[in-house]
This record gives sequence, structure tokens and C-alpha cells, in this order.
Amino acid sequence: MSTEEKNRAYITVVREELQQYTQGLLRENEKLRAMATTLESDKRRLELEIIEARVVLQQKEELRRAAETFEAARMETLMQLEKARHDCGVATMELERLRARFDDVEQENEKYAAQYHQIELHSSNLSNLYVASYQLHASVERDAVLSTIQEIVVNLIGSEEVAIFEFHEEAGEFRLASSFGVEKSRLKNFKAGSGPIGSRLLSGEVFVNDHVAGGEDKLTACVPLRIGDRVTGAILVFRLLEHKQSLQPVDHELFELLGIHASTALYCANLHEATALAVH
Amino acid sequence: MSRKKILLVDDSSTILMMEKFILRNGPYELVTAMNGEEGVRKAAEHLPDLILLDVIMPKMGGFEACRLIRNAEETKSIPIIMVTTRGEAANVEAGWANGCTDYVTKPINSIELLAKVRNFLDDGACQ
Repeated sequence: MSTEEKNRAYITVVREELQQYTQGLLRENEKLRAMATTLESDKRRLELEIIEARVVLQQKEELRRAAETFEAARMETLMQLEKARHDCGVATMELERLRARFDDVEQENEKYAAQYHQIELHSSNLSNLYVASYQLHASVERDAVLSTIQEIVVNLIGSEEVAIFEFHEEAGEFRLASSFGVEKSRLKNFKAGSGPIGSRLLSGEVFVNDHVAGGEDKLTACVPLRIGDRVTGAILVFRLLEHKQSLQPVDHELFELLGIHASTALYCANLHEATALAVH
Repeated sequence: MSRKKILLVDDSSTILMMEKFILRNGPYELVTAMNGEEGVRKAAEHLPDLILLDVIMPKMGGFEACRLIRNAEETKSIPIIMVTTRGEAANVEAGWANGCTDYVTKPINSIELLAKVRNFLDDGACQ
């Protein structure tokens, strides 16, 4: 083999080896390029992960801060709650105190209301007595006095059945002077000391039948008219008005008042009448 | 404060005096009449805020007086409390039929009368 051929063969070999080498380099280059791509991809992924991690960190920081704020608020609320509990305790005690005071005031109020009612009642009773007394002595006319006695029995005591008797000493009997709401036939003159009424009148005490309950013909009260110890007449009160269930304490006082003041009023009226007759 | 005017109509001077006594402490101006006829006349003349009217009276009874007061334009809205010895239903119904606003029975219960007067005049006097 000539030198030229050797050279050519050498060149061919070198060229082939160079080609192989070049191809090897190219393959290596391909691998490196692939690796670079992978690395580039990894890098982008890592960068994303870093961003995400930063976001998570930021969120964690925010959560921590929120937790701190919440804790502070919780502590504040606890303190306020404790204060409110304390205030509530104080308020409860104050409420109890006020309730007790209210009960006291309520009791006091009830007591005063009862006293006020009693005073009103007392005042009303006194008014009744004053009016009766005033009216009885407002006139010296016999008819007016008799009419006033009837009015008192009708309007202040509450009976529309009344009879007024006068005692005639010379005959020793009680004679009818005036009546209202009772049939005359039921009202007979009667002797002093005789019969249930005549004998009762002798004592000079007011007789009251508290349990009469509006029965017809039943006597509710027999009021002797007296001047000093002398009985000068009688007022007989029969049935009470339908809506008046029973006699009241003031009625008893009115009977006592009538017993004395009606008798003196009638006595004065009779004297006045006799004087007027004598003058004329 | 102007005093409320009350007209008291009753032929009994005892009742008139009683009513005056009961109402004496209130801020009331009291006018009286002794029969229904006078009551109707004084109601028109004084135009009271309230009338207390007896039922049985001479000249003109309470029911007729009540009806006349109700029929007159200037007095038709004045409250009228009938004062009666008869508290039975028929009598009370007659009162309503003739236009009364309320009624009280005799013997007059001062506390009841005052309460009713205050209720109608709405003045809270003497409370």
C-alpha cells in the first residue's frame, strides 16, 4: 500500500472517527440540551414554589397577627365580662334593695290608702250628722221639721217607710204626727209602756233591728225622741230601701242624733206654733 | 285653672246640702236648682260640666228634665248623673232611656259620688 493510499486510509479513518466523535458530541449536546430544559423547568417550578411559600408565609403572618388581635380582644372581652359580672352583682343587690324599698312603700301606700278611706268615711259620716243637725234646726215651722225628719230618714238612712209619733202626756199615749210610705191603717196610736214598742220606748234607748233584711211590716228601728230623760215622741223606721242591705254605724249615730235634735226641733216648733196661736 | 261647674238638682235641701258637703273640697263651682223645671233652665243658662239630677221632684221629674236637657242643642252633651232612691233595674233602665249617663243611689255614698264626679270631669281633684 502506497503512502498516498495510506494517507487516504488514514484520512478516511480520521474522518470516520471524527464523524463518530462529532455524532457523540451531538448526542451529548442533545442530552445536555434536554438536561438544560429539565433544569429550566425545575427552576421555574422552584420559583413558583418559592412564590407559593412566600404567600403561605405571608398568610401565616397574617393569621398570627389576627390570632394576636383576637387574643387581645378575647382578653379585653374577658375583662369586660368580669366587670359586667361585678356590675351585675352590684345591680342585683341594688335591685333587691329597691324591691324591698318598693315593698315597704307599697305597704305604706296601702296603709295610707286605708287611712285615707277611713278619713273619707269619717268625713262623710260627720257630714251626714252635721247636715241632719243643721236641717233639723233650720226651721221652727212644725211641718218643715216633720218634713226634715222624713227627709233625713229617706235620704240619709235609706228607708221610705217612716212614721213620727208624739207623746201626749194628758192621754198618756203616742199619737201619729206624720208618716211617709206607710199605710195609715198600720199606724195605730199606742199607750206608753204597752205593747212591744210602747214598752221599749220607756227605756229611752234606741232600738235597732239589724237583721230585719227589708221584711214588710218589720220594724227596722224605733228611735225615742227625748228631751233630757223625758220621752216626747218616737220615730219608727220600717223597711229599708231595696239596695240598702243593712244599717251602718253612721245610721246608729244618726238615730242617736235624731233622738235628741228632732225632739228639741219639734218641741221648739210646737212652742212656736202655740205662741203664734196665742198672739193671733 | 278654671273651676268645673256642677249643677245640683234636688227638691230636698238635705240632699243639696249633702252634695255640697261632698263636693266642697273639689275645684268645683256649684249651682243648685230645687226642681226639674228650674234644673232645665239653669242647665241652659250656666252650661255646667256635669249635672246631678234627682228623679222624683215637684213640677218636673228627673226623667223628663233629663230628656229635655238631652234634646236641647247646647246641653245635649253634658253628662248627667241621676240620683235616685230606687236602684232597681227598671228604674235604672228608665234613666238610661231618658239619656242619663250614670246614676247613684240614695243614701249617697260620698266616696262613690266623688269617684264618679272625678271620672266625668277627669280632673283628679282631691286625690
